[in-house]
Amino acid sequence: MRYVLRRLGFFALTLWAALTINFFLPRFMPGSPLQALRARTYNKLSPAALEEMLTSFGYKPHENVGVQYLDYLGHMFTGNWGVSIGSALGQPITQIVGQALPWTLGLVGVATVLAFVAGTVIGVVAGWRRGGTLDAILPSVFVVTSALPYFWVGLLLILVFSVWTGGWLPSDFNYDSNLQPGFNPEFIGNVLRHAVLPGLTIFITAVGGWVLTMRNNMITTLAEDYIRMGRAKGLANRKIMYQYAARNAFLPNLSGFAMSLGFVISGAILVEYVFNYPGLGYLLYNAVQNTDYPMMQVLFMLFTVAVLVSVLLCDFATAWLDPRSRAKG
Amino acid sequence: MRLRKSLIAVLAAGLVLSACSGKSTSSTTTATGGNATGTDGPHKPGGTVTIANTTGQTWPCQFNPFNPAQNQEALGFVYEPLVHVSVVGDSKETPMLATAYKWSADLKSLVFTIRDGVKWSDGQAFSADDVAYTFNLMKEHPALDLFALWTGAGLTGVTAAGNQVTMTFSKPAKPYFYNVADQVGIVPKHIFSTGAAAAKPDTFTNPKPIGTGPFLMGTCGPNNIEYTANPTYWQAGKPYIQKIEYPAYLDNAPANNDLASGKAQWGGQFIPNIKSFYLAKSQDNHTWSPPLLNVGLFPNLDPSHAATSKLAVRQAIAAALDRNQIALIGEGGQQPAANQTGVVIPTFQKYFDQAALTSAGYDKPNADKAKQLLASAGYSPSNPLKLTVISITGYTDWDASLAVVKQQLQPIGIDLTVDDLAQQTFLNKLYTGDFDLAYYSEQNSGPSPYYELRQLLYSKNSAPIGKNASSNFERYHNDQADQLLDQYATADDATQVSIVKQLSALMLQDVPMIPTTGSVDWFQYNTSDILGWPTPDNPYAEPSPYKIPDNEQVMLHLYSKAAQK
Repeated sequence: MRYVLRRLGFFALTLWAALTINFFLPRFMPGSPLQALRARTYNKLSPAALEEMLTSFGYKPHENVGVQYLDYLGHMFTGNWGVSIGSALGQPITQIVGQALPWTLGLVGVATVLAFVAGTVIGVVAGWRRGGTLDAILPSVFVVTSALPYFWVGLLLILVFSVWTGGWLPSDFNYDSNLQPGFNPEFIGNVLRHAVLPGLTIFITAVGGWVLTMRNNMITTLAEDYIRMGRAKGLANRKIMYQYAARNAFLPNLSGFAMSLGFVISGAILVEYVFNYPGLGYLLYNAVQNTDYPMMQVLFMLFTVAVLVSVLLCDFATAWLDPRSRAKG
Repeated sequence: MRLRKSLIAVLAAGLVLSACSGKSTSSTTTATGGNATGTDGPHKPGGTVTIANTTGQTWPCQFNPFNPAQNQEALGFVYEPLVHVSVVGDSKETPMLATAYKWSADLKSLVFTIRDGVKWSDGQAFSADDVAYTFNLMKEHPALDLFALWTGAGLTGVTAAGNQVTMTFSKPAKPYFYNVADQVGIVPKHIFSTGAAAAKPDTFTNPKPIGTGPFLMGTCGPNNIEYTANPTYWQAGKPYIQKIEYPAYLDNAPANNDLASGKAQWGGQFIPNIKSFYLAKSQDNHTWSPPLLNVGLFPNLDPSHAATSKLAVRQAIAAALDRNQIALIGEGGQQPAANQTGVVIPTFQKYFDQAALTSAGYDKPNADKAKQLLASAGYSPSNPLKLTVISITGYTDWDASLAVVKQQLQPIGIDLTVDDLAQQTFLNKLYTGDFDLAYYSEQNSGPSPYYELRQLLYSKNSAPIGKNASSNFERYHNDQADQLLDQYATADDATQVSIVKQLSALMLQDVPMIPTTGSVDWFQYNTSDILGWPTPDNPYAEPSPYKIPDNEQVMLHLYSKAAQK
């Protein structure tokens, strides 16, 4: 119990620190929302009117920073997130985030899970048949793929599957803009087609890491005495491989996976940027470009909370799975 | 139109290019609208126009015409101005919601005659009251007064009587006619005086806009806005086009692809290698991007910047530059070369003074003269002047132009360093005067060179170093220029031309800014089905889809070939 309380206390402290940084960091950036708006409207409009306009939407450059900070903390917890003062001036942040979140969860979430599952299975098999053909080729391939930058893989895939093949797979956006969203085969098929390349990009760059760690865990586990015991008792290979070796080798990877799920929400900013995928990562990029304080604050807050919550859950899971961690606490 | 992501666009275009090398055909672009000359006459309704214009975000589906981030979707199509003034068409005026207007002799009072028989799209009658209400709303809520009409332009009152609206000004206000008549969209009093709109007209979301314009907002989602023709539009039989699709493009590359494939017919895009990427794809693909403003070097004239405040240094740079090369290499020939008079040609040809340019010696590059000038300032190729020019990261065409500039300045003895900054950082430095040279462009075009020259040269648009200047970033101060700009407000047309020429003379004499290329309205159009586009021969409106309210004029001219059968 003391362990759980300590974890919760740590969670609260980290959250507060992160929220505080979230508030001040954007304000240390060069520029201001007013300047960004002036630039976006081609310096054509009266700066005084624009400042009034931004003030109406909740931008308060002249108010005491301390007061703003307390207001901000309150608003973060009450869900009163305000409206964008960037490129979507006046649109409620909840609405913008609500539109983007499903796309990020769908694309990055599914790709991350798939990469994890595939990587784990490949890693198990490669570790089991250590020194086999699979094990000779795959790890070296995955060392390379896991080191490739996201955006480069993305551009390469666009070149191969979209440009060279004359638009075989769409290279941007979440669905064709002439379609009306709805639960019909045409729309769903279109969404899936649009998800292939960005999803593949995330998959290719993420799967390698899982394969390598899983393979190495597997090899360590296979050297354990209980595996030898299983063999001696004449258990089926398949049974040893999955139920004895893989299950134990899997544990360290699981906590890594919990962490990576936390990062799903922040999207793969570069992937979303390259593919113009309207998810949270793209929103963050746009918000930074336009010095959209409320938008940045909310996005950073969501990212932080997602990571912290998954870390917390991971801690709890470890405590539950592994009695040693409780004893140490 | 978004340049800032052109990095990826260029990368992608590079990939595309390498992919279709060998296929490039030379295509001659005669910018013909495809419409037989002078047949602006009635056409049968039908057809859909799809717009490709990168906005970088999904649509918020708010249509408040006063919201500066969203008025592009509302003005023109839905909300109309009083009079349309064609910036590219020698200020040709088209009466819209006002049938006529009259200035008083002292140019301090302006009377509009408001059109009869116009209806709002909800069926209510439009009247002079709506016009007066719109302008008075801007007085009541300064946030709506985007053109500073009640403060800067000196508007003192707007009243309606019968079908007339009278505006009074505290000073001669002719130069503000463009803002008053063309840039402000008239909103319905019966909507904006009740409920949410009345309480907070500035933050009013206006999801279902009610306007007098030729189109109604049909459906709006984050990815697309569909406009449908207004069946009760006051110009009988118009618009011919029945539907506009306006997809949200987050990036140039997909928008450019849709233009090249013909999926979108109306573009406002920067397309790298436009010849092979766009024009060669179809005989029906055309482009005409008229220049409206100058892009160039803003030297810091403040004495604290020793080199750039020296006239001989600026003259040397102006003399050394081969602007045709910069336009050709840096801008791929898509933006024309500028000239030192500051008058953008061919758009504003009648204000251009070729003789003055020639006699000042800036009509063609002159490296020898540049060397001499620089020597008089104490620099030479063996003792080069080191200068840094700031530019904006991601504006790859500007980077390319600056590379050419650097190359041209090297031999005369200027060692130029290009410093690419994030846009916000760049603007901060530009506004506060923290630079030696800045590569930039005035942003706000108007129907004559006066509007740009005023931003550039008027000392009241400047500010001391460290304070934000509104547009005179180089910190130019010349009483003669101020006087000329002040006189312009009351001058007749011929005098206005002469004033611009005198301002050009100051540009040649003091070299306060060094134009390199023109800044254009990006415009691409496809004539396989849609005809009636603006062309150099018939420049009835600024052609870019992002130019409001000119977008309305374009839509009123367009018609579908297929629907005429």
